[in-house]
Amino acid sequence: MNTSAGPVAILTKLFFTLLYGVPMVWIVLTSFKRSSDVFDPSAAFVFEPTVQAYTRNLNSNLFDALQQSVSIAVGTTALVLLIAVPAAYALARVAHWSVTLGLVALIVLQMMPQTALVIPLFRHFGQWGLLDSLTGVIIADTALLAPFATLLLRPFFRAVPMSLEESGSLDGAGMFRTFWSIVLPLARNGVLTVGSITFLLAWGEFLYAVSFMLSPGGYPLSALLAQQVSAFGIDWPGLMALAVLTSIPILIVFVSSYRLLRDGLTVGAVK
Amino acid sequence: MAVFAVYPLLQLAWMSVHDVTQATLNQGGWDFVAWDNFLRGFTAGESPAAIVRTLVVVCIVTVAGMLLGLAVAIALRTKGWWSAALLALMVFVWALPPVVNGSVWKFLLAESGLVNTLLGFIGISPVPFLYDPQWALISVASVAAFAVIPFNALVFRAALMAIPPEIFEAAAVDGATRFQEIRHIMLPAVRGTTLVLFVLTVVYGFRSFDFIYVMTFGGPGTATATLPFLGYLQAFNRYDYGLGSATSFLAVVGVLVLAGVYARTIGKEERS
Repeated sequence: MNTSAGPVAILTKLFFTLLYGVPMVWIVLTSFKRSSDVFDPSAAFVFEPTVQAYTRNLNSNLFDALQQSVSIAVGTTALVLLIAVPAAYALARVAHWSVTLGLVALIVLQMMPQTALVIPLFRHFGQWGLLDSLTGVIIADTALLAPFATLLLRPFFRAVPMSLEESGSLDGAGMFRTFWSIVLPLARNGVLTVGSITFLLAWGEFLYAVSFMLSPGGYPLSALLAQQVSAFGIDWPGLMALAVLTSIPILIVFVSSYRLLRDGLTVGAVK
Repeated sequence: MAVFAVYPLLQLAWMSVHDVTQATLNQGGWDFVAWDNFLRGFTAGESPAAIVRTLVVVCIVTVAGMLLGLAVAIALRTKGWWSAALLALMVFVWALPPVVNGSVWKFLLAESGLVNTLLGFIGISPVPFLYDPQWALISVASVAAFAVIPFNALVFRAALMAIPPEIFEAAAVDGATRFQEIRHIMLPAVRGTTLVLFVLTVVYGFRSFDFIYVMTFGGPGTATATLPFLGYLQAFNRYDYGLGSATSFLAVVGVLVLAGVYARTIGKEERS
């Protein structure tokens, strides 16, 4: 097989390495600069590093936001899995016309613009007393991500051979027992993949958080960042430091689940 | 799930034909205004302009996302640490919150940001990437494309890896050039994937709002307010929830049409 890189492939790789690498390097570099050095070309790479931007950010607001982010992301991931695992299993196993209908409904829901859903949800949450509460944001994020998670998870359950389940029930295991001790362990990678992606998406979600949290005091990191970047007179080192801090948990999840993401993401997304 | 996913859509439709403002949002008994909200959107010229902008964004995101995604997937077929590292880097950037990517690009595209500094070195005067109405729309669409290329590359890569190696061996024996390999082996192999991914990318471009929110907030003026974002602005910035619902309802209809196309494409793929 022709796997050696030709000049075109090398140029393509070089271009994309710069396109995706430079912004990452630039965030980190800027976060260690003084405000006066930010737009000074002579201080682009050679500058006196300072952690001022980080120390300015490290206050109780940041820890509150971090706590909110963790609660929202963990809560949403748990709730999404609680819904998506049984739903995906049912959609993978039951053969009935209603399954096709369910799949179509999920596809449509997954495509809905979030900006359209936020308006009616805002009104209902106002009525139900869910504004300005973590529960409201978690519920909204779950409704947003559960259809996608279900669709992504379904092929993993379909890949579990039916015969294994049949032998399970022959041995006298009930439906729940069969699912819990035969199907779920075999679909482990799928659950982990979907769990990781849900966590990543919930961590980054900011529109619901900005809209349903009535004061910045309840914002998660993503919403705090969205609020600061659209403000006038941006403190760039501070903002980039905040971006770095927001991205660190993502880096941790990414490093621990990269292989799953790389191979599992493409399974359900296109089919 | 139906309560929190389907019911809001019905509520949205209901609100779009009523007069709902900040004062009346939390009370019942809104005035029924029939198509008035939709008409207001169209006569003020906001909705048609937003539809055009949405189409521009969809075009840029789809063309760049598909072509560059495929280019990356083909270039990354080569083995070695560089390909592996670049793929990991790109998937990481994809996994980053859109606010982070948006903030970074807002910074890079600033008046005296890195991109303009680099352009200065080759003698090009600063480009108002985010301050000029036309440039701003191109900029937010390009960043949305930047964020979707890694995902598309992953999907294309999976399709390319499914090609049996013997086919490439046979092609090498026949003395095929790299271009011929791409043209006659890889492109036919990713055809099915391309159709489905194409619709997904169109939908992504259509509903994308994160980068607009972070980089321009719909501005300058309403130059980057696409249909979904305009609805949000009308509701949450001008507190005209009825008008915002009507605009968003148009966006929902657009998505329903795209979902229909998607379902047909998948159906065809599974039959063939």
